[in-house]
Amino acid sequence: MSDLDIRLAPAVQRQARLWSLWRQMPLSFRIGSIILAIHFIVAATGPFWAPYGYSQMGAGPPLSGMSLAHPFGIDQLGRDVFSRVIHGSHIVILLSLSGTLLGLVLGAIIGLLSGYVGGWIDEAVQRVLEALISIPFLVLALIAIAAAGTDYAGNPILIVLVVALVYAPRIARMARAAAIDIATRDYVTVARLRGESAWSVMLRELVPNATGVLLVEFALRAGYAPVLIGSLGFLGFGLRPPTPEWGLMISENRALLIIAPSTVLGPGLALASLVVGLNLFTEGLARVLGRTVKLGNQ
Amino acid sequence: MPIVLLVVRRTLLSIVTLLLVSLIIFSMLEVLPGDVATRILGRDATPESLEVLRTELGLDRPATVRYLDWLGGLVTGDLGKSLVSSRPISEILAPRIFNTLLLSLYAFALYLPLTVIPAMLQALTRDRAPDHALSVVTLVLLSMPDFLLATILLLTFVLWIPVLPAISLVDASSSWFEYLKAMTLPALTLAIVMAVYAVRMLRDNLIEVLDSDYVRMAELKGLSRARVLLRHALPNALVPTLNVTALNLAYLIGGVVVVEKVFSYPGFGTLLVDSLQLRDLPVIEATVMIAAFVYIAANLVADIAAILLNPRLRTG
Repeated sequence: MSDLDIRLAPAVQRQARLWSLWRQMPLSFRIGSIILAIHFIVAATGPFWAPYGYSQMGAGPPLSGMSLAHPFGIDQLGRDVFSRVIHGSHIVILLSLSGTLLGLVLGAIIGLLSGYVGGWIDEAVQRVLEALISIPFLVLALIAIAAAGTDYAGNPILIVLVVALVYAPRIARMARAAAIDIATRDYVTVARLRGESAWSVMLRELVPNATGVLLVEFALRAGYAPVLIGSLGFLGFGLRPPTPEWGLMISENRALLIIAPSTVLGPGLALASLVVGLNLFTEGLARVLGRTVKLGNQ
Repeated sequence: MPIVLLVVRRTLLSIVTLLLVSLIIFSMLEVLPGDVATRILGRDATPESLEVLRTELGLDRPATVRYLDWLGGLVTGDLGKSLVSSRPISEILAPRIFNTLLLSLYAFALYLPLTVIPAMLQALTRDRAPDHALSVVTLVLLSMPDFLLATILLLTFVLWIPVLPAISLVDASSSWFEYLKAMTLPALTLAIVMAVYAVRMLRDNLIEVLDSDYVRMAELKGLSRARVLLRHALPNALVPTLNVTALNLAYLIGGVVVVEKVFSYPGFGTLLVDSLQLRDLPVIEATVMIAAFVYIAANLVADIAAILLNPRLRTG
C-alpha cells in the first residue's frame, strides 16, 4: 500500500499543478478551451455516432421542424440536419486549421526573412503584400477560385490553398514587424557575425523568439477561417453538395427559413459557437502571452 | 516642406500598390497556366465556341500587350465590354455603384448610434450586469458570420415583425421610400457587424476617459452628468475609434458582397458574385479593381489626415 502511495504522489502532484495552472488562466481562455474541446470531440467522434449519414435521405418527413428525434429538423431532401452538422464538423475544422497553418508557415517565412534581410527586397515584398491586402479578403478568395477554373471547383485542397493565400500576406506583415524588432538584438548580430545564412538565422533565432506573436496570429486567423470557408460555401464557390459544410448548408436551407428555421439556425449555431470558442481562446491566449489582440476580420 | 513630401510619397506608394493590384488580378485571371477560354467555358465546350471566345478576349495577343491594353483602358475610363451581355461595363457598373454607395451611407448612419449608445451604457454600468450582458452580446455578434446575421435578421423581421421586405429588389423606378425599406435590413446587418468592433473599443476608451482628471474636474464643478458625458468624455473617447471606423470602411467593401447577395440587393457586391458565376472575366476584373481602388484611396485619405493632424509632423 505504502509502495503505491509513493508512486502515486508525483502524479497527484502534477495533477494538482495542472489544475492550479488551469485556475490561473483567464476566464475567457477557460471557456474558450471548453467550447473548443467539445467541438474537437464532436469532430473526431461524430461520424461514428451521428444518427444518420450525411447524405442519407428519408430520415424523416421533409421540411419538418425541431423535434426530439431531429433536433435541427429535416431538410428538403429528407436528410437529418443534426447529423449533417455533426458530419460536417471535422470538415470545417480540418480545412480551417490546415488552411491557417499553411498561411502561417508561408506568411512567417516571407515576413521574417523580409524583415531580417531588409533593403530593397524588403521594400518590394512589402509592396506586393500591401497589394494583396488591398483586395478585400473575400474578393481575393473568390478570384483565386475563379482563377483555378471549373476543374478544381469544390476541391477541398483548393479551399485550403485559398485560405492560405488570403492569410499569408496578413500574417507576413505581423511577422515582418516582429522580425525587425528581434533583428536588433545582440544574439542575432552574433549569429550573423558567426556567418550564419539568413535562412538559418530565421529558423534558429527569429522563429523561436517570435513564437508568441505567431501563436496569437495563428489563433486569431484560425478563428476567422470557418467564417471565410462558410462564406465561400454560402455564395456557392466553396465545397460542393452534398458535402455537409455549414455555410453551404445554411445557403441550401435558406429557402426553408420560414417553414423550418432550425435547418438554418442549427448549422448557424454550430458555426457561431465554434468561432466564439476560438475567439475566447485567442483573447485568453493573448492575455496570457501579454499581447493585445484585436478580434475581427481585418 | 517635408509635410508635402510625406503626402506626395504616400500618394505615390498608393499608386504603386494599385498598379501591383492590377498586375496580380490580371495574372491570376488571365496568365495562369492553362487556357483561359477553357477555364471560362469548361471542359465540354466545342472548339468553335472556344475559338470565338479567344478572339473576343484577344487571347491571340501576348499577355503583356493585353495587360497594357487593359490598364490603358482602366486609366482612361474604358472598362471594356461584358462577355455575357456585350454592354459596356461602365454602363452596367454605374447604377450598381450608386446603389452600394447609398447602402453604405445608410449603414454608416445606423452605425453611429449602434456604436455610441451601447458603449456609453457599458461605460456607465461598468462591471455591473448590463455591462457584462452587452459584452457577451458583442462577442457573440463578433463571432457570427455576416451571412448568418443577415439570415437571422431576415427571419426576425419577415416572420415576426413583417414590415420589411425579404428581398431588396430596387431599380431606377423605385421611390425613395421603397429604396429605404429595401435597404434597411442589409444596412442594419452591415451596421451591426461594423459596430461590434467599435463598441468594444469605445467602451474601453470611455472608461479610461471617465477616470481622467479633467472629467473629475468637470464633475466637481457641478456640471450635470449628461453634460460631462456628452461634452467632455465622449469627444475624447471617440478620437481613437476613428481608426476602427477606417478599418470598418475596408470591411464594408468586402462585406457588401455577402450581405447584398443575401438580400438580392442590386449593388456592386451582387454584380461581382453574379459575374463570377457567369465567368464574365472583364466585369470581374473591373469590379475587383474598383474594390481595391476604394480600399487604397480610403487608406490614403486616412493616412494623409493622420499626417496633417499630427502636430509633431506639422512643425517638423
